[in-house]
Amino acid sequence: MTGSGAADVGTVPAGVVMEEFSYDDAIVRKFLFATVLWGVVGMLVGLLIALQLANPIFNFGISFLSFGRLRPLHTNAVVFAFAGNAFFTGCYYSTQRLTKARMFSDLLSRIHFWGWQLIIVSAAVTLPLGFTQAKEYAELEWPIDIMIAVIWVIFAINFIGTLVKRRERHLYVALWFYLASIITVAILHIFNNLSIPAGPFKSYSIYAGVQDAFMQWWYGHNAVAFFLTTPFLGLMYYFLPKAAEGPVYSYRLSILHFWSLVFLYIWAGPHHLHYTALPEWASTVGMLFSVMLWAPSWGGMVNGLLTLRGGWQKVVDDPILKFFVVGITAYGMSTFEGPLLSIKSVNALAHYTDWIIAHVHTGALGWNGFMTFGMIYWLLPRLFQTPLYSKKLAGIHFWIGTFGILLYVVSIYSAGVTQGLMWRAFDETGRLSYPDFVETVVKLLPMYWMRVVGGSLYITGVFLLTYNLLMTWRARPARYDVPVIRAPGLSRSYVPTPQPKPAGEGFFGWVSAMRYHREWERMPIFFTVLVVIAVVVASLFEILPTFLIRSNVPTIASVKPYTPLELYGRDIYIREGCFNCHSQMIRPFRYETERYGEYSKPGESVYDHPFLWGSRRIGPDLAREGGKYPNLWHVRHFADPREVTPRSIMPSYALFATTPIPWQVIPKRVDVMAMLGVPYGDAINHAEAMAKAQAAEVAADIEKSGGPAGLQDKEIVAIVAYIQRLGRDIKAGAATTAPVASASAPTAGGVH
Amino acid sequence: MRLSDIMANAGLSIYAEVALVLFLVAFLIIVWWVFRRANTARWKSAAQMPLDDVHPQQPRTRKD
Repeated sequence: MTGSGAADVGTVPAGVVMEEFSYDDAIVRKFLFATVLWGVVGMLVGLLIALQLANPIFNFGISFLSFGRLRPLHTNAVVFAFAGNAFFTGCYYSTQRLTKARMFSDLLSRIHFWGWQLIIVSAAVTLPLGFTQAKEYAELEWPIDIMIAVIWVIFAINFIGTLVKRRERHLYVALWFYLASIITVAILHIFNNLSIPAGPFKSYSIYAGVQDAFMQWWYGHNAVAFFLTTPFLGLMYYFLPKAAEGPVYSYRLSILHFWSLVFLYIWAGPHHLHYTALPEWASTVGMLFSVMLWAPSWGGMVNGLLTLRGGWQKVVDDPILKFFVVGITAYGMSTFEGPLLSIKSVNALAHYTDWIIAHVHTGALGWNGFMTFGMIYWLLPRLFQTPLYSKKLAGIHFWIGTFGILLYVVSIYSAGVTQGLMWRAFDETGRLSYPDFVETVVKLLPMYWMRVVGGSLYITGVFLLTYNLLMTWRARPARYDVPVIRAPGLSRSYVPTPQPKPAGEGFFGWVSAMRYHREWERMPIFFTVLVVIAVVVASLFEILPTFLIRSNVPTIASVKPYTPLELYGRDIYIREGCFNCHSQMIRPFRYETERYGEYSKPGESVYDHPFLWGSRRIGPDLAREGGKYPNLWHVRHFADPREVTPRSIMPSYALFATTPIPWQVIPKRVDVMAMLGVPYGDAINHAEAMAKAQAAEVAADIEKSGGPAGLQDKEIVAIVAYIQRLGRDIKAGAATTAPVASASAPTAGGVH
Repeated sequence: MRLSDIMANAGLSIYAEVALVLFLVAFLIIVWWVFRRANTARWKSAAQMPLDDVHPQQPRTRKD
């Protein structure tokens, strides 16, 4: 908290003009309220979807409340709304104080705040309505993506402008973390969301299949890195010394922490795609860089915990420090586990299971949540200029939240390992021990209920925080005291103290004096350029080969584009978020090929804009679902999944049978696909007629098998047509093409 | 001739290794710079920055 009244610098050289200014805390208060509000909303949606997995009755048979649509709402709300606003709260508070300058522009601050909240509201409306790009953490459709880019640039201008006009020479390391986050998130967001609109809230990714998957997980992993990790490390390096009332343990270590993360993190994305159709060299590179991340992450964690050296007795009394200690420990745990999960053999067990969900929640609930709560409790008395309403309630929040995290993660780790082991179990006759997928789901239900209890406890803690916030806010003064700060004005000339040693002669002398680095760190723009180089060069070397070297994605002659009706069916699959529970990527393991069929090839998804490989199997993989069951089975299964699979937890989609297909949108969608290079040929001129003809065929087959009549213009025929197409092209081509070389051999020729 | 054929035959993969070496060297320089004894005082002063909201540790003005 700044002292009240004007404060001077101790000794000011003669001739220096003193300037007066104040910090803008009104914007910090706004972001703080938004953080808590969206935290409550996002976590309540999380609780609802946890209930839906424990019992499908909680889908209520309402399309906009079904799991597939709400899961992205939960992730977007907690990541971009809760954690995003938390970052902005801390960033606006600390940046002004670290630079001894008010934010560059109050107007830009306000546009940033209201723009970001508008984006969140748009997300909260469009995601339940089924408008989605089907890319995890990048689900929002193109108009909102443009809005995000604009608001983010405004934030960047405001932030960098503040650095430029700062009154402090050195940029404290927290500001480096903020700057790198802002720059990298902008790059990630723009490149992963490149798409061509096919309507006001419908677009297709410009990338397909392997390339799209690679872009998405380059983005997805770095969204975790540069939205949930580096911004919060910046907050840690500011608020932890504040709360502990002492400097960070090792400033040197914090600089190494920063540069190591910038150099390494950007490479790690492909570990989300082990054993998929991604070229093996890429997945190995991703694994190696992930393993290297162990060192800086733990360096950072140790640096945080050692900041409390000699002050551990304070932790006993202070809920704020308690939150920080558990938060930093959770950072250590999840960054220990992350590299572990990136190791291929561990990943083979963990991928597609709840293990990943547990891993994420250790980080999200522990690191992001608890760092945010600690920061909020520290800020409340300072922002509202009155003592915290109840320190005791904050203490209860800590214990109830910690217990909630433990219940959540222990149950979900158990669920993940259980399901992973059940999938790969063979009996003594060499057959799958649990051939029926639903058996491996039913086994998890007790653990899903335990998660509901753990999550409820965690949210109860957040309610206590909300109450504490409101009561503290009620006791605020009638007018906030705005201290006037006096500091020396800006000048271009600078004589550092202590004086550096004179540089030696020649090049070596220039290098060893390191004067240029001092210049660099003072120049935010140049510093930005360095970060951009590190991030972009790494990204290019990793991603470009899959675009430019054909042997990385061998094509398969028999793989053809989806028919117009199947394309619309695929859009329904995307709208309903089916990819949240069903993968379409069979890994080359015997226990997968026994269960699902031939493993997936890179050439099979060359027309998949966007790719739909999925990341979690709450239901079975669907890559070879086509032809496994008759059309009528699917009609009955969509109407009521439990009629055909008694213990299934899938929501029912009875509406498919009554919702008409909007035929007029189909030609436009086929056009956009053709624009993206999908060889539709003459079909673009007859898309609607082709779709109607195929719909009539499917409807006739359903009726002939004893199903309901009159489905030829209903969505059910489109989605059934799509599902029946999955994985069939490669079977059709089996007789005429040579076997495709290993999916994980980038230089193998494959079938062209 | 497609762009991808040209790129595949251009022998560009060596540049990835060049970049790797350059980044490693850059990182080693950073490590060396961070641990230089001459910089100890700077880091000590920088580490104090969050603790004082009012007074700049190293004001940008010394003389005009």
